Amino acid sequence: MSMMLSRRVRDLPPSGIRKFFDLVVGAKDIISLGVGEPDFATPWTVRSEGVYAIEHGRTSYTSNLGLLACREAISGYLKDRFSVSYNPETEILLTIGVSEAVDIVLRTLLDPGDEVIVPEPSYVCYGPLVQMAGGTVVSVDTSDTGFIPTPDMLQSVVSPRTKALILCSPSNPTGRVIPKETLLELLALAVKHQFWIVADEVYAELVYDVAFTSVASLPGAKDHVILLNGFSKAFAMTGWRLGYLCAPPEVVAQANKIHQYSALCAPIMAQYAAIEAVKNGLSELESMRRSYEHRRNYVVTAFQEMGLSLHVPEGAFYCFPSIRETGLSSEVFAMRLLEEKRVAVVPGSVFGLGGEGHIRCCYAADFDLLKEALSRIAAFVKAL
Amino acid sequence: MISTPVAQDILKILSKNARLPAADMAKMLGVAVTVVEDTMRALEEAEVIVRYTTVVNEQKMPQMKRKIRALIEVGIRPERDRGFDDIARRIAQYPNVVAHYLISGAYDFLLIVEGDSLEEISSFVSDKLASTDNVRSTSTHFIMKKYKEKGILIGEQEVTERLAIMP
Repeated sequence: MSMMLSRRVRDLPPSGIRKFFDLVVGAKDIISLGVGEPDFATPWTVRSEGVYAIEHGRTSYTSNLGLLACREAISGYLKDRFSVSYNPETEILLTIGVSEAVDIVLRTLLDPGDEVIVPEPSYVCYGPLVQMAGGTVVSVDTSDTGFIPTPDMLQSVVSPRTKALILCSPSNPTGRVIPKETLLELLALAVKHQFWIVADEVYAELVYDVAFTSVASLPGAKDHVILLNGFSKAFAMTGWRLGYLCAPPEVVAQANKIHQYSALCAPIMAQYAAIEAVKNGLSELESMRRSYEHRRNYVVTAFQEMGLSLHVPEGAFYCFPSIRETGLSSEVFAMRLLEEKRVAVVPGSVFGLGGEGHIRCCYAADFDLLKEALSRIAAFVKAL
Repeated sequence: MISTPVAQDILKILSKNARLPAADMAKMLGVAVTVVEDTMRALEEAEVIVRYTTVVNEQKMPQMKRKIRALIEVGIRPERDRGFDDIARRIAQYPNVVAHYLISGAYDFLLIVEGDSLEEISSFVSDKLASTDNVRSTSTHFIMKKYKEKGILIGEQEVTERLAIMP
């Protein structure tokens, strides 16, 4: 049977999270810090626009790029919030979540054997999608520099086949934000060696006590950066599946060919809802951000009190403490924590190089549950 | 102390959950517990925090004797040397009046009035309110059901079904 399936797919590593997922599903009394999405429902004003669209029969396909009104709204939003400017007619493509955007960008850029540099620990989709696009993943371990990729470490792996560098800032799983000075150096490297920076900035709105700089806003970035963003994290819209890709017109036109054949368009009701999100959702976005920030502070203090070292996450809603001093591997730690204390976290090893020795805890959880989970983790660590 | 950003954060947090321990708030805001405690005391002394109270859903407690509530629109006949504040002071004193606002529009005061029975509220309106000096008109609306109070939805909460583990 397996011979009838694609070698490329069979060669994909199975998700390290899967085994864990099966254990947690069905268990009742577990507190999960293993989620990867906001604990808020979509703001009501946004939900009601989606309902309105459905009620008024807006249930058709849209143009492949997406509704022009939605692209215009996104263009204005990006300019206001991140000082980047993209022409809504030719430089923005709406996708089914950022996930689709990552997929079609890689397929647009890569020829067989092309290399893509992935700083790790990283979100789990990049490597497999590079492989599916026929490329080769060049992993770089960022754990020695607090999970921030530096020009030095990249310089040593750049080759004539390097086609792209993937940056995810603020980062899933570490929550770190790449500082502006580093972005400038990374961009200079991309210009020098003529490769693309694929910037997954889906957590850009969720940043605490630092200023966020979009790599796309830097001078000279336009021809070397492909910006990916979406509504899932900022506006608590994970289930709506709406992301977007911003790039020079040639890139968008080519990516749109793949998008048109494989997805056709993003869901129309999500597009109408998104227009409302950028128009009237910003104050709720801010109150959600503040709420994450409070919980971030709480979680960081709690881990410090447990004696676990960590790099304070400046963004997203993840904390990535080191559990090395416990002497357990991240998988054993997570497994025992689940069995003995009924708390689910994600072992760092699933996020690639440099992830081992850490656990990812998502603090987008109800405060009382979060507090209880942390006191259980503290008891677990103390008893080791 | 009451004009600091921390004070504003504390007020926002307390208005959602007034029972959150000071130690938790301190961790959330990244300040010492004493800062939270001192700020709260200062806010209380300055009467920025007037009182800590509860949002109650009486519908969940059938055995509890329910209060009857009404919104009352009150028209005022303005008089020389006598402003709204002066008249309001006379009305707001009644224990039946649980909220009292001066508003723009077709009438002047909006009251929320509470009593044990329809009769109690009716007699408050006819005997006390309508006969108060300068009160020109009253219009009483009994409240039939509570959907939301102090920004909190009353009744069934939304349940989101999130996957427990996601990359």
